[in-house]
Amino acid sequence: MVSEDVLRTHLQELRRGTVVVASLVALRRPDYGYALLQRLTDHGFPVDANTLYPLLRRLEDQGLLTSEWNTEESRPRKFYRTSDEGESMLGRLLDDLAAVQTSITGLIQGVDR
Amino acid sequence: MNTLTDRYLAATLRSVPTPRRDEIADELRASIEDMIEDRTGAGQDTTTAEREVLTELGNPDLLAARYADRRLHLIGPTYYLVWLRLLKLLLSFIPALVGTVVTVVQVAEGKGFGAIGTGVVTAMQVAVQIAFWLTLVFALIERSQPTMDLPGWTVDQLPDVPVHKDVSLADTIASVAMLVLTIGYLPFQHYQSWVHATDGDNIPILDPALWSFWLPALIGVLAATAIFEIVKYRIGRWNWALFGTKALLNLAFTVPVLWLALSDRLLNPSLGERLSWLAEADNRNTLGAFIAVGVAVVLIWDLIDTALKTRRQTA
Repeated sequence: MVSEDVLRTHLQELRRGTVVVASLVALRRPDYGYALLQRLTDHGFPVDANTLYPLLRRLEDQGLLTSEWNTEESRPRKFYRTSDEGESMLGRLLDDLAAVQTSITGLIQGVDR
Repeated sequence: MNTLTDRYLAATLRSVPTPRRDEIADELRASIEDMIEDRTGAGQDTTTAEREVLTELGNPDLLAARYADRRLHLIGPTYYLVWLRLLKLLLSFIPALVGTVVTVVQVAEGKGFGAIGTGVVTAMQVAVQIAFWLTLVFALIERSQPTMDLPGWTVDQLPDVPVHKDVSLADTIASVAMLVLTIGYLPFQHYQSWVHATDGDNIPILDPALWSFWLPALIGVLAATAIFEIVKYRIGRWNWALFGTKALLNLAFTVPVLWLALSDRLLNPSLGERLSWLAEADNRNTLGAFIAVGVAVVLIWDLIDTALKTRRQTA
């Protein structure tokens, strides 16, 4: 029986990079921090708030996201959107994700059980 | 305005670089309010919701470190191995070296045995200093932005496979210690034996006349044996050349002692003044014979034992 801790660690490792991919995809439609968090959770990407908020800042610093303050609503919110640069990098990341899936599938089929 | 949220924001922003502080503050406040609103909308009261949201966001220092992309370790994996290797290298000889030098200087100044304590304490202080400063330097390197170009690892750095030692370190240390004690005892018994003359003067156990040649010669042989033990440890296992040397050294010690004991020249004749039993020549001869037999038995036992070890380890 695999211990829960070990399982959690491996799942965390597996999921780590996918948060960036999911965020870049989701932010093709501009959104603010908490709304993005909810959308990601709803789509099966549970992510901690204290991970996501700093991550958005970092992606913005890297030029993969652009941001804009929206002051029309009840409180001013910072909306993020995937930039052109972010879009092209997302393409590379998605290719790689698909490649990983292909490789895994091939490996599974190649191994006799 | 001193709500929990205010305090949380202040705690987080304290360690975020100034140029981005206001923007992060506005955004984080909005996010926190969004999260609280979501919970109160589901029927929770504001105070509980606020507590839960802030608890979920966690330690403000951790959050700030994530915003500032700051390292939360002293020395990371990039430099850890280099740090460890340098630390081991420096600690392997510098403290011992400094401690020895201090001891020698203190002894030269006539401080006697207390000098060893001073040397040990100094060595420990040096070790702590090395560890501290080295770690500090590496912690600073870790935090300087451009990553240093460290020389990569190459196969040439692989250490030799440790040779399996048939000669153990403990045995070697024990042998050398015994030899040093024996060497020390020879002059010691001259000044301090348990036998005293009637006027209170010390009577050496061994004949003082032997100091003209035989005792210095025996001390020389013992010192050579101590060096032999160290060389043997470095080689790591017995071979027939070592066996031959060992046999020669043993004979060089035992044969003179045998001869001296049998010709009644080993023990101090003055002992007879205090120990009447020794005053009689017959008794002295008996004692000499006992010593000779004892020495010879030890010699033969040692030669056989060594020969067996050598045969086993060269096989």
